[in-house]
Amino acid sequence: MPRFIAAYVRAVDRISDYVGYLAASLIFMMGGTLIYDAITRNLLKMPVHWAVELTQFTLAAYYFMGGPITIKNDEHVRMDLWYSTLLRRNRAKVDLATIGCMIFYLAIMLTGGISSLIYAIQTNEKRFSIWNPSVIPIKALLVVCLVLMLMQSIAEVFKHIAALREEKQNEL
Amino acid sequence: MSYEMIALILFGSMMVLLATGQRVFAAIGFVATAAALLLYGPGAIELPFNQVFKLFNWYAMLTLPMFIYMGYILAESGIAEDLYKMLHVWFGRYTGGLAIGTIFLMVIISAMNGLSVAGMAIGATIALPEMIRRGYDKVLISGVVQGGSSLGILLPPSVVLVLYGMIARQPVSKLWFAGVFPGLLMAVLFILYIYIRAKLNPKLAPKVTDEEVNMPLREKLALLRAGIIPFAIFFLMTGLFVMGYVSLVESSAVGAAAATLAAIAKRRFTWPVVRETSMKTLGVSCMFMWLILAALAFGSVFDGLGAVKAVENLFIRQWDLSPWTVIIMMQVSFIVMGMFLDDTAMLVIVAPLYIPLVKALDLGFDNQLIWYGVLYTITCQIAYITPPFGYNLFLMRSLAPKEITLVDIYRSIWPFAAIMVLTIVLIMIFPEIALWLPEQMKVKG
Repeated sequence: MPRFIAAYVRAVDRISDYVGYLAASLIFMMGGTLIYDAITRNLLKMPVHWAVELTQFTLAAYYFMGGPITIKNDEHVRMDLWYSTLLRRNRAKVDLATIGCMIFYLAIMLTGGISSLIYAIQTNEKRFSIWNPSVIPIKALLVVCLVLMLMQSIAEVFKHIAALREEKQNEL
Repeated sequence: MSYEMIALILFGSMMVLLATGQRVFAAIGFVATAAALLLYGPGAIELPFNQVFKLFNWYAMLTLPMFIYMGYILAESGIAEDLYKMLHVWFGRYTGGLAIGTIFLMVIISAMNGLSVAGMAIGATIALPEMIRRGYDKVLISGVVQGGSSLGILLPPSVVLVLYGMIARQPVSKLWFAGVFPGLLMAVLFILYIYIRAKLNPKLAPKVTDEEVNMPLREKLALLRAGIIPFAIFFLMTGLFVMGYVSLVESSAVGAAAATLAAIAKRRFTWPVVRETSMKTLGVSCMFMWLILAALAFGSVFDGLGAVKAVENLFIRQWDLSPWTVIIMMQVSFIVMGMFLDDTAMLVIVAPLYIPLVKALDLGFDNQLIWYGVLYTITCQIAYITPPFGYNLFLMRSLAPKEITLVDIYRSIWPFAAIMVLTIVLIMIFPEIALWLPEQMKVKG
């Protein structure tokens, strides 16, 4: 792997890890908010009207921020009936042939996300509720996460190529 | 090109892409976005992203990460060891007692968690080694753990029923109640099967006679304390929810918190456990959420094609099938597909086709979609344990003691899969098994 590509892969892997750690901690925030809401409503008789929406936002942030690290660690389920029987090199070949699907899907998600974000900024879009929060921050976060997921997918392409080359060198 | 043709091409290309072993969410997402752009033009470019906001409104989705977290914490907390010791002493002296006790253990674990992973991990690491030591038949007990742990998705709380509820637009609380009696029925059938096998051939499940189980009654009663924490967790979660103090989503958070407190009390809530658990929770949750997100995009493309009407037309008008024939065909195709597909993928891909069809059929009773949810969940259980592709099979292979080979595991599941099919048949003949309880309960979802 050329040095600058290796550096790119390392950097992207590290960013995905840190964003992932941050995402993993959000489970405690979601649980905490839900219990806080249950307690204030039942014991203090003071319903917190923003709790439901806040946890909805957090859940979206949770799985988008977890997106890059789960691609990196290969935690997404595969129908691996055939795939799991392949040698490492052949897996890399298959992945190289099909990873374009993921990149295409994520790219369209990103395009849609950007256009949705622009619309939100232009119209100052808000959620229609008592809390009435702006949707700009969450949409911006989702767009950033999609960029990170794309960067991670491209890093995966480099890793597959490297795996193929390594094997070739071992044969020589 | 006709709509039927387009639908067929969509499904076909997705199956091919899935078979290559690429990530499932990527395969579904790709077919969905490509089809949206080809069929509806560049105006559809926001369609995949907008599914995020559809998922936003599926508030019950929050139970998913909560239950996953809770399952991992429960497995780590040491609650299960105490429970197993209790069941061991109380049942050990009877024919097939330890295997029957394991089914009880699985029922208790299932009542605390909505996935089968927790039961699987506990069964394979705690119950299995003990039964092997006692000379129980490997093939029998491997089936016991696999069949038993799959009850986790049928007995409330159940994540699979939450997913189904969102797709079929049915109240989750009713679905959960509908799972209670079918789940217990299946547990009873498992126990009967074990008992009969052990009676016919006592060598399969020798009685435990040593002093380990012959303790004074006082000590035996003291062991019952192991049941207190699980009961408290069950009460806090399902009890407060049924009584209307907490919402569905809040109840899952209460359960997660209760499991965390139990782990703290047992001094198992260490930093490595917290780190491991939260990372595993993130991994599994992300896998599910991205799969659902991609499938939602697929579903909305598919909706626009009117494929459902086409299938309905073919089955009911052209082939003139009776409603029950249609249901049986759907179940059989589900079971066959379940052997090859992962259950979430199965639900999100096939449900948009099948659920409207169930709705259109007239079976002669109310709450058809609730009833079908139970049938669907049992089909998922079968899919979990049948080769070549089953979650539980893979987990079992990685968790079980070395003595149990893959061949043992494969041989062990057939009787349990047969019992599950029997349960499906019983629920088809007597829909009341599933529907009686939810019809008695007037709770808000």
